[in-house]
Amino acid sequence: MLILGIDTATKVCSVALTLDGRVLAEHNSTDGIAHSRRLLPEIDGLLKTAQVAKEDIDMVAVSMGPGSFTGLRIGLATAEAIAYARKRFLHGVNTLEALAYNLRGEKKIISPLIDAQKGNFYQALYQWQGDELVCLEPVAIVNQGKLWERIGDRPAIVTGECGALQNLPEHIELATEDLRSPLAKSLCAIAERNFDEEKDKNFFGLEPFYIRRSEAEELWEQRHR
Amino acid sequence: MQKDIYILGIESSCDETAAAVVKNGREVLSNIISSQIVIHRKFGGVVPEIASRKHIENIMPVIDEALAKANLALEDIDAVAVTYGPGLVGALLVGLSAAKSLAWALDKPLIGVNHLEGHIFANFLNDKDLEPPFMALVVSGGHTALLHVKGYNEFELLGQSRDDAAGEAFDKIARVMGRPYPGGPEIEKLAETGNPDAIHFPTAKLDNPYEFSFSGLKSAVLNYLHNEEQAGRAVNYNDVAASFQNAVVNALCERAVYAMQQSGLKNIVLAGGVSANKVLQNRLAETMEKIGCHLVHPTPILCTDNAVMIACRGHFMYQAGMRSPLDLNAQPSLKLK
Repeated sequence: MLILGIDTATKVCSVALTLDGRVLAEHNSTDGIAHSRRLLPEIDGLLKTAQVAKEDIDMVAVSMGPGSFTGLRIGLATAEAIAYARKRFLHGVNTLEALAYNLRGEKKIISPLIDAQKGNFYQALYQWQGDELVCLEPVAIVNQGKLWERIGDRPAIVTGECGALQNLPEHIELATEDLRSPLAKSLCAIAERNFDEEKDKNFFGLEPFYIRRSEAEELWEQRHR
Repeated sequence: MQKDIYILGIESSCDETAAAVVKNGREVLSNIISSQIVIHRKFGGVVPEIASRKHIENIMPVIDEALAKANLALEDIDAVAVTYGPGLVGALLVGLSAAKSLAWALDKPLIGVNHLEGHIFANFLNDKDLEPPFMALVVSGGHTALLHVKGYNEFELLGQSRDDAAGEAFDKIARVMGRPYPGGPEIEKLAETGNPDAIHFPTAKLDNPYEFSFSGLKSAVLNYLHNEEQAGRAVNYNDVAASFQNAVVNALCERAVYAMQQSGLKNIVLAGGVSANKVLQNRLAETMEKIGCHLVHPTPILCTDNAVMIACRGHFMYQAGMRSPLDLNAQPSLKLK
């Protein structure tokens, strides 16, 4: 199965093409050029590099968040439109799961983090059990000061947007920098594992994992309680 | 015989998710609009993040419906035209990302359209004989401007508002009078039974006869409301709405007359959300008739945001060989040139 992976959930713009689990081409950039400018030319270049025609793509895998709201929508609108135009499969992947997938074979508990603004992070806990990536605790918004509470005293490895964290407890380590970013090839791998012929036919109505409502809605409810 | 040209238009600059197919630049095959007005009403205006969320939910179904109504497959489309500004950046990016990807996936040309130029082009769908040159009076929630449309792809901006747009003043005053968003239709409704000469609200006199200013007028109305309330007098909202609307319409008509006389043009078109205002349409039409000119304005459905106008504008850009690159970005404060 030829899969095009798209991840614009964070500052990283990552695209990849995989064929039956093999990476044909990938490109990851963090140079700050707006995702909306970069994404399509990047995809176009990827296909040329891999010498793959557009019509050969079987499925588009896209990062659904949590992450930057605008980034998620750019990725999803792009993925939906490509899948729709070519009548191909569309598969959404949790961005935290994709981050954990980067650390294949890791024995410790994996805690991917994505910036949720104002000193908070989106956090979930995963663990590799054999060839299975198991979600131990689902995503929650956690204040920076309470990040280690869900881990307890279990040995863990932190990945994702964790570069600014300091004074980690001894039993918690940071993933190496090259594996911390969302990588589209991980999306492709997860999409291939979880492929559902019926569900993935639908390219309408996928909703990003915002986790949070808009600020305006939260304020409105506070005022009208 | 010439081949027919089909343009798919996509619009998501504010609170309407819209897609449309236009044939040969003049014939509407479909016009699908998913409006969010009701959702934003309780907030008293458009909330950008909520608008963007509704856009991503609706964009593909709306495009699909536009093609289905037009009885066309995506492959039959000659080009994809999309609004890339001005507007809310997060909202624009949804339509733009979808449009770019459709164009790329099917090797169709991509045409980025200026939303304000789109509003002007809505008039080509109402008056099949309309051709440049003509004058355009753009009146919307974000803009008030006079343009000389010299050709299908050649415009000269003569003047615009130096502060608030006319539509902005409508929305603000409606809100202060306790009316729901959007304020334009609310003011118009109130004004129906009001006396337009009841209260004199002054409009600014500017050195540049093509320029507009509505912030002074807006303040005058707000001050009036405030003072009456302070004095404990009951305010006749119908009279306030009628008098305010009258002042706006007068200011617009006055500039339009000057522009027509200076340019010697015979046709003028109304464009933008406020062009749906019947009092403005009627008064401007009468005023133009008096000086031997002719007003064209869009039907109500094409006055507010829609994708037909984007497809129409895109058609003429397509014909002129204008294309946009795949790295086209949203431009929230894109200007009229």
